[in-house]
Amino acid sequence: MSSQVAAEKPKSKDLSGAGQKLLAFASLIALIVAFSLLSENFRTVTNMMNILQATSVIGLLAVSATIVIITGGIDLSVGTAMTFTAVTAGMLLTWLGLPIAVGVIGAIVMGALTGLASGAFITKMRIPPFIATLGMMLVLKGLSLILTGTKPIYFNDSPGFTSIAQGSVIGALLPAFPVPNGVLILFIVAAGVAYILNRTVLGRYTYALGSNEEAARLSGVNVDAWKMAIYALAGAVTGIAGVVLAARLNSAQPALGQGYELEAIAAVVIGGTSLAGGRGTILGTLIGALIMSVMTNGLRILSVAPEWQIVATGAIIIGAVYADSLRKK
Amino acid sequence: MFTRRTLLGATAAFAMLATSAAAEDKLYIPLVSKGFQHQFWQAVKLGADKAAAEFGVEVTFEGPETEAQVDKQIEMLTTALSKNPAAIGFAALDSQAAIPLLQQAKDAGIPVVAFDSGVDSDIPVSTASTSNVAASALAASKMAELIGDAGKVAVIAHDQTSRTGIDRTEGFVNEIKANHPGIEIVAVEVGGGDQLKSAEIAKTLLAANPDLKGMFATNEGGAIGMVNGVQEAGGKIVIIGFDSGKAQKDAIKSGLMAGAITQNPVGIGYETVKAAVAAAKGEAVEKNIDTGFYWYDATNIDAPEIAAVLYD
Amino acid sequence: MPDLIQMQAIDKSFPGVRALRSVDFTLRAGEVHALMGENGAGKSTLMKILSGVYQPDAGTILVDGKAQSIGGPRAAQALGIAIIHQELMLMRDLTVAQNIFIGRERRNLFGVLDEAWLNASAEAIFAQMKVKIDPRARVADLSVAQAQMVEIAKALSYQSRALIMDEPTAALNAKEVAELFAIVARLRGEGVGVVYISHRMDEIRQISDRVTVMRDGALVGTVAAADTPIEKIISMMVGREISDAPPIVPNLAGAPKALEVRNLSRGRAVRDVSFDLQRGEILGFAGLMGAGRTELARLIFGADRADGGSISVAGKPAAIASPADAVRLGIGYLSEDRKHLGLALGMDVRANIGLTALARFSDSFGRIDEAALGRVAQDYIAQLAIRTPSDAQEVRLLSGGNQQKVVIAKWLLRDCDILIFDEPTRGIDVGAKAEIYTLIQGLAAMGKSIIVISSELPEVLRLSHRIAVMCEGRLTGILPAQAAQEQIMALATQRETTAGAAA
Repeated sequence: MSSQVAAEKPKSKDLSGAGQKLLAFASLIALIVAFSLLSENFRTVTNMMNILQATSVIGLLAVSATIVIITGGIDLSVGTAMTFTAVTAGMLLTWLGLPIAVGVIGAIVMGALTGLASGAFITKMRIPPFIATLGMMLVLKGLSLILTGTKPIYFNDSPGFTSIAQGSVIGALLPAFPVPNGVLILFIVAAGVAYILNRTVLGRYTYALGSNEEAARLSGVNVDAWKMAIYALAGAVTGIAGVVLAARLNSAQPALGQGYELEAIAAVVIGGTSLAGGRGTILGTLIGALIMSVMTNGLRILSVAPEWQIVATGAIIIGAVYADSLRKK
Repeated sequence: MFTRRTLLGATAAFAMLATSAAAEDKLYIPLVSKGFQHQFWQAVKLGADKAAAEFGVEVTFEGPETEAQVDKQIEMLTTALSKNPAAIGFAALDSQAAIPLLQQAKDAGIPVVAFDSGVDSDIPVSTASTSNVAASALAASKMAELIGDAGKVAVIAHDQTSRTGIDRTEGFVNEIKANHPGIEIVAVEVGGGDQLKSAEIAKTLLAANPDLKGMFATNEGGAIGMVNGVQEAGGKIVIIGFDSGKAQKDAIKSGLMAGAITQNPVGIGYETVKAAVAAAKGEAVEKNIDTGFYWYDATNIDAPEIAAVLYD
Repeated sequence: MPDLIQMQAIDKSFPGVRALRSVDFTLRAGEVHALMGENGAGKSTLMKILSGVYQPDAGTILVDGKAQSIGGPRAAQALGIAIIHQELMLMRDLTVAQNIFIGRERRNLFGVLDEAWLNASAEAIFAQMKVKIDPRARVADLSVAQAQMVEIAKALSYQSRALIMDEPTAALNAKEVAELFAIVARLRGEGVGVVYISHRMDEIRQISDRVTVMRDGALVGTVAAADTPIEKIISMMVGREISDAPPIVPNLAGAPKALEVRNLSRGRAVRDVSFDLQRGEILGFAGLMGAGRTELARLIFGADRADGGSISVAGKPAAIASPADAVRLGIGYLSEDRKHLGLALGMDVRANIGLTALARFSDSFGRIDEAALGRVAQDYIAQLAIRTPSDAQEVRLLSGGNQQKVVIAKWLLRDCDILIFDEPTRGIDVGAKAEIYTLIQGLAAMGKSIIVISSELPEVLRLSHRIAVMCEGRLTGILPAQAAQEQIMALATQRETTAGAAA
């Protein structure tokens, strides 16, 4: 292997990251154009807003999953951790009657703590990420059901809570673009996480761990501590997803969430992030999440049978990753 | 490996000892349900517990986490049978899959009472359920009445494989087709009972059909999602739901939802245990027990006979 | 003034292996100290202890005359000791500058990185080294030589006083080696002590001041480079003269051709290679790392697709599109990376031997005839003298030499007539090497045709009936047995610009 690398001339420019994003973006545009031609009901501003809104929760989860996947790990607990943070917000707001800000911050902190716990299992107890987060997925699901007594918690006593996801700050300023707040939150969080990944030490080590953990360790990086911090960051993003979910449903639904982790991972993979770690971008993930939403929305608008919608989603995942591997050859 | 297996065996043995000890003085009747998390099943359990207290029997109630987990339910049924109960209550997720076990129960002389949805077999001595077809047909008639017997409507089903999912969808669709030619059903989507997914579906249906007049959801999760979706989209259409729950009740009271069909879950639980006790004692039981259903809307939601079967 | 570094009576054991036995080693400021020895002699282990990767079981380390405990890579860095690992320890997805300063990034209060500073500092180091590499380039896009320079830059960035280089020239071409030596000479002039691990005799003369030789985890001796003949160093390394067992070249004049390779090519890795292999012949393949020998073997074995060329087996044209095709044609490939590619380490000897021949030991329901397989495994254990308590022993518990024999047994069971050995004695101790050599010679005598790829010249010389030499993907020549080392080296470094006359 190494000799082959030696024989090749170094490539002049890094194309791989940009190439995949371009490919994914082109697919997204192609999908939008195709659906727009097929249905006039698809190409309305309202429907575009529907698509964005439908991307908000899954998009946030996918951002969280991206962070962990870049380290070469995986987080199967994002779906139920999201529910758990929504339940946390419910307990703080509805049961304890605390102000909305406390509930929101509490949910985010709880998310970070769940991430920290996963990180500790992985680093301190040497449990592989797949197993550690599989365990967390079930533990958190169970805890959500126990804490709520299997009943949903409603936010009727916290008027204004639902506007976190459903209102539109942008729409108030620019009535032509009623972008829901949930979407605004997604984009702000995505930008923030992208900044952290590209400009901060935490982000640098995220890529370094996924690229070659042993090399990072030999360079004197405190791998365990940073890994826990990375999982905590991902957990905090999951917490934000929990708040947006709760605000959209005006309730914390304890039984919801399982299965969302796979949708999130699918979006990450479509966006060109390598499950082997070291490579991936938040922008790619956003595009991946949008591709999934556009597919689901478009097929529904065209009244494609629900069974075929599922098949199409699976095909998109395989097709996206295959296209990526073709391009790399 | 060996130690773990031994441990499991020991635990199972202990559990059996514990239940058989309890069963010595009371009839033991396990109910294997389709779920337990959902409010509906909690209400069924309430009715079952009420009957248990009344007839002095011991009732357990369990079900899988989601209605897709047919395998887990079969496992639960197997475990329940191995405890040698006096009778068994069973709400089949997939009635075909359970038939061998039910046959086994019959051979062992354990009477089976089906509840919530029927089993395609003559093994159950009785079936305590809502007539889902009739209940959904009522929803269809109400829909026709509310939209002036003309226009487009859509259905969000909670499931496309279970008996209730099929019956409620077909009950609605067939009634519209048979008696309301002015109404067009533009879509039957599946939301899996997931509130968020159902909300996205509702919004997409509105975008695809701007002239949509009404929507019908076949269970509580779908109905809540539908209300959220229509609210977010800012549409004004006739929404009809199924079952109850706090969110659905609030939506009906505030006028977001036109009304809903409620079953009588407490009655289902109660009648199931009552029939099981009778069968265990060798008494004759009715083959089909209709546990009933009601239409409720803002006008009658607080009436005592309705309030009694609604749950939060 | 005390020596920069003194390592005294260092002991280190790994499960099942005594890696170091009471080893002494010193490094002075401003010297290049070559550390030599065969694979598995303990050089890398010793240096990993010095750089804090491993902890010694016993012994002391003095830096500037003061005893130090080097608890980890960070502690070594603080003492000014830096190591460039044999397998490059870089993060491929990060840029050059990001790699150099990993763990020491300049950042503000909120952890925001100062990328401009990072790139400027890296640039300054490269300027000092007189090397042109873009600090913003991704390491994955660099050549191995460039990556090597990045490792050196990283070491320099620690203000290192002691620099350990573990086979730094293994993947470099002549020009790059010259550049590297210039840098090493400059560092020496600045008072840095350099430990230089290499197999290449010619290099040792060129740059080192002293030579320390290790063998089987023990120190053999330290000599001055200038007045020690190379033969002396080699005999210190192997413990005997290397030409003590010349191969007996059989007369293969009438032997049929087992394998004919014509114009085989794949990208720049393998270019237009043609050769014949006769029945009963051992054909050695010599060349520097990256010459394309393993790539050639993978083409013949069908593990990679050729761009062009043809292969005939036993006189018939063969279409080899996959390893399964090659195996059907009786070609076996014994990978250099036994542990990853050749063996299922967690499975027992019997299962490993039977792995590729299960079809013969199972019925139509896929049930394995364990008894028959066991008998065959025991036969091979006896025949190849595999030292294992039984055929039910897990392969990971065997020594390297015995693991290699299990791989050989696996291919013999498949009735392979052509066996390609890629680095057959890598990681195998000296005693077991001789056994593997005897085994390979015995196989040839039985009529098997054998290709041996080896980076150790003595090994090629010891085994080969003919010696093929490759350089940069091309076959630069085929020499008779017992060719002079100089001849082989000349062909192995015959770069394309000078190849015209010889080819």
